Amino acid sequence: MAEIACERYKDMAATGIADPVLQRALINLQHRFGRGTAEAYRNLPEGPELRFQAKAIRQHAIDHLDLLLERLADKIEARGGHVFFAEDAEAAVTYCQKVADRRGVKRIVKGKSMVTEEIGLNPALMADGIEVTETDLGEYIVQLAGDHPSHIIAPAIHKTRKEIGRLFADKLGIPYTEDPPTLTRAARKALREKFMAADMGITGCNLACAQTGHITTLSNEGNIRMAATLPKTHIAVMGMERVAARLSDHAILFRLLAMGAAAQQMAGYVSYIGGPAGPDSLDGPEEFHLVILDNGRSRILADPEFREMLQCIRCAACLNVCPVYGEIGGHAYGYPYSGPVGAVVTPLLVGVNRAKDLCQGETLCGACRDACPVAIDIPRMLLALRAKLAVGDDRWNVAPAGPAERAVYRIWSRLIGNRRAYDLCLRAAGAGGRLLAGKDGMLGRLPGPLSGWTRSRNLPSPAAKSFMQRWKEMEGEGGSNHD
Amino acid sequence: MTDPRRTSFLKRVRSALGNPLRDESAISAAFADPRPAATAALAKRMRERPPEERAALLVRLSEAAEPLNIQLVQVPDETAAVEAIARIVANSLPEWGGEKRAAAWDHPLISALNLQDALADLGVPVFVTRPAPDVDRGRVRRAVADAFVGVTSAEWCVAATATLAARNPPGAPRSVSLVPSIHVAVIRAEQVVADFQELYALLNAEMDEEGRGLTDAMTFITGPSKTADIEATLVHGAHGPRELHLIVIHG
Amino acid sequence: MTPNQPHATLFIQCLVDGFYPEVAEAMVKVLRRLGVRLDCPTDQTCCGQPAFNSGYRGEARKAAKRFIALFENSAAIVCPSGSCATMVRRHYPELFESDGPWLERALRVADKTYELSQYLVDVLGVTDVGARFCGRITFHDSCHPLRYLGVREQPRRLIRAVAGAELVEMVDSDRCCGFGGAFSVKYPDISTAMVEYKAQRIIEAGVDAVVGCDMGCLMNIGGYLSRMGADVKVMHLAQLLAETGEG
Ligand code: SF4
Repeated sequence: MAEIACERYKDMAATGIADPVLQRALINLQHRFGRGTAEAYRNLPEGPELRFQAKAIRQHAIDHLDLLLERLADKIEARGGHVFFAEDAEAAVTYCQKVADRRGVKRIVKGKSMVTEEIGLNPALMADGIEVTETDLGEYIVQLAGDHPSHIIAPAIHKTRKEIGRLFADKLGIPYTEDPPTLTRAARKALREKFMAADMGITGCNLACAQTGHITTLSNEGNIRMAATLPKTHIAVMGMERVAARLSDHAILFRLLAMGAAAQQMAGYVSYIGGPAGPDSLDGPEEFHLVILDNGRSRILADPEFREMLQCIRCAACLNVCPVYGEIGGHAYGYPYSGPVGAVVTPLLVGVNRAKDLCQGETLCGACRDACPVAIDIPRMLLALRAKLAVGDDRWNVAPAGPAERAVYRIWSRLIGNRRAYDLCLRAAGAGGRLLAGKDGMLGRLPGPLSGWTRSRNLPSPAAKSFMQRWKEMEGEGGSNHD
Repeated sequence: MTDPRRTSFLKRVRSALGNPLRDESAISAAFADPRPAATAALAKRMRERPPEERAALLVRLSEAAEPLNIQLVQVPDETAAVEAIARIVANSLPEWGGEKRAAAWDHPLISALNLQDALADLGVPVFVTRPAPDVDRGRVRRAVADAFVGVTSAEWCVAATATLAARNPPGAPRSVSLVPSIHVAVIRAEQVVADFQELYALLNAEMDEEGRGLTDAMTFITGPSKTADIEATLVHGAHGPRELHLIVIHG
Repeated sequence: MTPNQPHATLFIQCLVDGFYPEVAEAMVKVLRRLGVRLDCPTDQTCCGQPAFNSGYRGEARKAAKRFIALFENSAAIVCPSGSCATMVRRHYPELFESDGPWLERALRVADKTYELSQYLVDVLGVTDVGARFCGRITFHDSCHPLRYLGVREQPRRLIRAVAGAELVEMVDSDRCCGFGGAFSVKYPDISTAMVEYKAQRIIEAGVDAVVGCDMGCLMNIGGYLSRMGADVKVMHLAQLLAETGEG
C-alpha cells in the first residue's frame, strides 16, 4: 500500500499555500488546462451532451463488470496472456514480484500508473534489488528528486525548470540549463538507454475493451509504448473498473479523456494490447501479464451512493479546475489520488474517518462536476461522506462525530425550529457584536472558533433588528398572512 | 482450468452488483451495440461519400495536422512519395550519431515504393521488417534502434484529429513507428476517414466480416512524441519520434 | 389590485435576516417597484443548508419540513440567496427521496422557488428595473446558482440594464471565493487563500463595486476587502437594483 498521510491535510495545505513556486505552477496549470478543457467541450460537434453519453457508457460497464472482466480475461488468456485477479494490494504486488523473480528481471521501466502507486509496487520491487525506472518525464523527475507526484497527469507540476535544471546537472551530469527542450532531451537520452536495457515493462491500463480483449494505454510521450514494446515481459496493472464493454465505446471515451486530461482532441498515442507478441511477430513482449485489482473497489461498487465514482477514468480534469486543489496542490491530499477525485476515492479506499479532512475540506462549488468528462457528481458524494462522518456508518466502519459537534447541530436545530428563541439569540448576538465592532460596524480579530476566519477577514456584526422584525413593523403584525 | 482466485473475485463483483441474473440474453445485452441504427447510418455515409466530401476531408486533415506539428505532404503518386522520403532522409541527421539507416514495414504500399533502391543512391540501407520463421528478434530490435527514420503505413487516418491508426500484424511491428527519431507514414487518400466514430465503425465492421476479432496489437498515433511536464511547456520528442511526416498519395 | 398582478413570498436567507436586513429591504423595494405583491412568513428561520452541508441530514430534514409547511401555499418563493434557493430546489427533494408524501410536497415547493435574478428575468421577464448607478461593476458568480440553477446571464442582463453602470468581467468570475459555510471556519487557511485570489481579480478589474447573488460569498469577499482596506464597494444585486441614484 502507498503511504497514507491524509491526516496531515491541513498542515500540508498550509505548506502548499505558502510555497510561491507551487502557487505559480498551479495557476499556470489551471489556466492552461482547466480553460482549455472547458473550451474543448464547448466546441464538441456533438455538443456538451456527449459527456452524458460517455457517462452512460461507463455506467453500463460498471453494471456489467463481472461479465466484462470475464470476457476480457478469457480473450487475453486465449492469446497466451496471463491474467491475475488480485483481491488486494498485497496480492498484486506479490504476483509482480514473483513474475520478476521467475524471469530473472534486473531492470524495470515503468509507464505512469496511479494504480501502481496505490499498491506501492515500486518500493517492493526495489527492495528485491531490482532497478525500477519511472519513464514518464514528470515521474522521472519526481523519482530522481526522491519526491512524490502532485498531479495525476502532470506529476512534476510543483517543480520549476530551475529545480529540474539543478536536479539533472546533479543526477545526469549534464551542464546546468533551464531550457525545457534541452532538459527533455537529456532525459530522452538517459531513458532511451533504460528502455533498451530493461527486461520488464510495467504499465497501467487506461481503459480495457472487454469485447475484443485488449488493454489500452494512452500517452503523449511514447514512454508507455516503449515499456510495453521493448522489454521481454510486460505487466499491466489495472483497477478492475477500467474496462469498457464494446470497442466502439472507446470512440467517445478517448476523445473526452484527451480533452479532460490535456485539452487535446486526442492523446498522442493509444495502444491496444491483447496479449504477448505472436510467434511470428518481430517485436513486442514474449510474456504478457494483466493484473486486475480490486483493493476495496468492490465495496464501492456495492454501495449505490458511491458506485458512480467507478465511472472515473482518472483524467485529472477535476484537478485542473478545482479552486481548492489550485491553492493547496496535490501533496496535501496525502495519497496518490489528489484533487476532487482523491477527495472521494481516498476516503473510500483508506477509511473515511482517517481521511475526514478530504471529505470536509472543500467548498462543494461543483466545478469538478462540470469539468468531468463523465460528469461524475463529486459534490454529491462529498455530501454523502460528510453524512457518514456526522452520524457514523456501519457499512464503511465510520465513527460518528464527537458529542460536542453533534450537540451544536442539535441545539441549532431546536433554535431554528422556534422563531421566538431564534430571535432572542439573534438579539443577544447583536448586542455582543455591537460591543466588539469597530467604527465601520465590522468585527476584527475574534477568539475561539472564529479566530481562523477573522485572522484574514472582517466579519459584519449582527444587525440591531432582523429583517423579520422590520417587516412586521412595516406591515403591522399581520405581515405573515397571505392577504 | 478454473482459477479459484478468479472465481472468488468475480463472485465478489457479482455480489456487489446485487447478484443480477447472468443468462445468455444478459450476456449478449452487455456487449450489444447500443445504437445499431446509428452505426448502420455511419457505414452507409462512408460507403457513399461523394468525391467533393473526400476532398473536404483532406482539407480537414491538413487543418488538424498543422497545430500538432505533423509535416503533411500531399503527393500525386508513388514516385513523388519516394522523392519526398528521400528528401527527408537526405536533409536530416541521425539523432544519436552514426550512419544513416532506415527501417520500413513489410507492407504492400511501402514495398511498392521500393525504398531499398531509392535510398541506396543516398547510401542509406533500409531494413525491412519481413516476418520469417525463427526470426532473430534481437537483430530486428537492433536494426530498428539503429534506424533514424522509420517508414510505415497505416490502415486509416482520422481527419478530425490527424490520427493514424493501424493494427500491427507481424510485418508491421510497432517499434518502427516508435524507436527511430523520425517517423514517416505513407497512406493513400482513400484511407482518410472523417472522425473517430467512423474509425471505430470500420474496425467493428472488419471484426464482424472477418470473424476474427481484433487479434493484433493496434496503435493510434496523433502527432510526434511530446511532453509538457516541465512547467507545462510543450516540447516535441519526449521518448518517441521527434518528427512525424505524413505522406498522402492522391490518385 | 389587478388580477394578473404577480404574487411572491419572501424567503430570506438567515444570514440576510440577521446580518444584512438592508439587502432584504432592497429586494422588497425592487419587487414592489415592479408591482409584485409580497408576503413574508415571519416565522421562517433557516432552510437547513448548514446542517445539510455538514452531513446532518436529520436536522436538515427537520428544517426542510418546517420550511415546506411555511411556504407550500405560496405562488412563487423568491430568495436573495442562490445557495439557499439551491438547497430548496435541489437538495430538498434528495432529502425526501424515500419518503413519498414529503417528496411530493418538497418537489412542489422546489418547483416554485427562485433566486432573485431568476425570478426577475425568467419569471417576470424583466431586465430593466429602473435602477441607476454610476460606476464600473464586476459580477461574482456564486457557485450554487451558477452550476445548479443555471444563473449566469440573468444577473448580467439586469446589471447591463442599470442606467450608468458598466459591467466589467473579472478574470475567473466563476471561480469559488472560498466561503463554503463551515468550510471557511474549519479550513481558514485554504479559504483565505481562495478569497485572496478572488479579491485580487476584483481589484485587477478596476471596478467601483463587486456585485453578487449571495451574501455568504459577499460577506467573505467583503470581509477580506475591508481588512485589506480596498476601495471597492460590495453589493448584493438587490441593492444595486434598488439604487435610483437619488441620495
Ligand atoms: S472524477 Fe472525472 S474529472 Fe476527475 S479524474 Fe475522474 S473522470 Fe477525470
